[in-house]
Amino acid sequence: MLLEVRDLHVEFHTRDGVAKAVNGVSYGVDAGETLAVLGESGSGKSVTAQTVMGILDVPPGRITAGEVLFEGRDLLKLKEEERRKVRGAEMAMIFQDALSSLNPVLTVGAQLAEMFTVHRGMSRKDAHAKAVELMDRVRIPAAKERVRQYPHQFSGGMRQRIMIAMAMALEPKLIIADEPTTALDVTVQAQVMDLLAELQRELHMGLILITHDLGVVADVADKIAVMYAGRIVETAPVHDIYKAPAHPYTRGLLESIPRLDQKGQELYAIKGLPPNLTRIPPGCAFHPRCPMAQDVCRTDVPPLYDVTESDAERGSACHFWRECLHD
Amino acid sequence: MPEQQPYEPERAIAGTGMGGQMDLGASEAVTLEKTPGGPEGTGPQDKPRSLWSDAWHDLRRNPVFIISALVILFLIVISIWPSLIASGSPLKCDLAKAQEGSQSGHPFGFNGQGCDVYTRTVYGARTSVAVGVLATLGVAVLGSVLGGLAGFFGGAGDAVLSRITDVFFAIPVVLGGLVLLSVITSNTVWPVIGFIVLLGWPQISRIARGSVITAKQNDYVQAARALGASNSRLLLRHIAPNAIAPVIVVATIALGTYISLEATLSFLGVGLKPPSVSWGIDISAAAPYVRNAPHALLWPSGALAITVLAFIMLGDAVRDALDPKLR
Repeated sequence: MLLEVRDLHVEFHTRDGVAKAVNGVSYGVDAGETLAVLGESGSGKSVTAQTVMGILDVPPGRITAGEVLFEGRDLLKLKEEERRKVRGAEMAMIFQDALSSLNPVLTVGAQLAEMFTVHRGMSRKDAHAKAVELMDRVRIPAAKERVRQYPHQFSGGMRQRIMIAMAMALEPKLIIADEPTTALDVTVQAQVMDLLAELQRELHMGLILITHDLGVVADVADKIAVMYAGRIVETAPVHDIYKAPAHPYTRGLLESIPRLDQKGQELYAIKGLPPNLTRIPPGCAFHPRCPMAQDVCRTDVPPLYDVTESDAERGSACHFWRECLHD
Repeated sequence: MPEQQPYEPERAIAGTGMGGQMDLGASEAVTLEKTPGGPEGTGPQDKPRSLWSDAWHDLRRNPVFIISALVILFLIVISIWPSLIASGSPLKCDLAKAQEGSQSGHPFGFNGQGCDVYTRTVYGARTSVAVGVLATLGVAVLGSVLGGLAGFFGGAGDAVLSRITDVFFAIPVVLGGLVLLSVITSNTVWPVIGFIVLLGWPQISRIARGSVITAKQNDYVQAARALGASNSRLLLRHIAPNAIAPVIVVATIALGTYISLEATLSFLGVGLKPPSVSWGIDISAAAPYVRNAPHALLWPSGALAITVLAFIMLGDAVRDALDPKLR
């Protein structure tokens, strides 16, 4: 495994009490593999990613337990200075909103070149040439001229491509993309995802794709981890999950995608709201919203059951995964 | 960010109306011709402009800025070389001519000691400009370094600094000046500058702290951190350029008030003392004879008022130019 997160717990100390944002998350990515992490806002997917990157704000955040193994090293045990060297060079992150992720007072070329001057100690001139090369590579037309422009002079899709270029600059082994296409037009989303997938193949990188867009996931991901209230509730290879979800929450998510053959009907929605993280319901956190909930769900926290029916590695944190799978 | 307006040749022509503006307008037009739109059909590209060049672009067209800048330039020149426009010595007085009005060679008349009011008014600029500029520099450097570090690192240091600024805010400026400066016997500008820096830095420190905290929360700072930037790099390259504008604005406006504060302290007898030449001293000395010799009071007061006004107007113009929301 390139990256392995083991039993990670993160909490935030707020005025309302302790918010348990991540409660025992484990997942792994291999080189060349794409893991999609799905979940609603507040499910802990971004906090997990920030912890892996080491950019979680501590305080208010606190990592209470767990390991983040990157090529076998536990990143959580490294000193900040060593972690900083890992960031950017060995793992990099792409954020949701590319306009706000680029410094408005520096030209995009300066920001791209910075990756090389800071991490590789290149001269300004060489770094500038590299920046042009990178912009070419992410298919920005007239890269030679546009390298001297400021972020606000680019369209949304181009800005996201520049962010991708920055993340790819040092050919890291792992990329975490936090909702990279959410702020973009649908047509541009596809181009950006294609570019990301293509570069990933070329460089044989591991990719963690954080999203709530199931449409994006189906095309590019190898496996999926579905998160709810800071836990992984289902993990499976991408095709299995679309064919037959083994958790009622995943099923709810899939059913709430608009479909062409159900035109005119009311769209399905999972009833209720995601739980308040300072007061996560006892038992299965999803039980107040679950159509299949029984008494046992209110008291017993379901472990991640091994869903053995398919050949692939698959897990579901539902007491009734069998019923769900065959329903 | 508002869209960049396409370049309009009329603007350059309009700019030529004002003497020295001609060269700027013409050279801009020439550089623009050299950078036409990319051959790949990217359309006519605007010359990339940063916040600062945008601000300069605005300022050059603002009559308030031009007038106040010319006044300030004039003040700076005469405070460095007062003999350019005043041939006599400000300390050469003839009691026989006390309180006499305007006469040939002495356009502003004589004061109560029979000194030439014109020469003293010209030489008084040196004190005012020196105190204003040096005190502002000290305040800006001390305040922004302390406030910036407190805002960036937060925690206990920040809490302590914030309470210290509260304490300083509670000190009444004039009363503090009377107490602190009355025990100092040195007759140079330094005690006055030191006093102003001592009482002035908390204001800038607060502004700097606030704007660093705002800039720190920007996604691009998080993004730069995720790509491996160190704290010093984040602070100097990503945060400082985006946080410095409010500091510059407040400092420019404060410069005017520091000049009037020096005059106030000198008027009260605790700032500079004779034989130093300062508008405050002259105003103080002329005040009792205002009915017999109003000119001895009006000229230094007028010079002080114009100087303070010029700096405050300059600060206003700079603020308008640096605030993107006013565009």
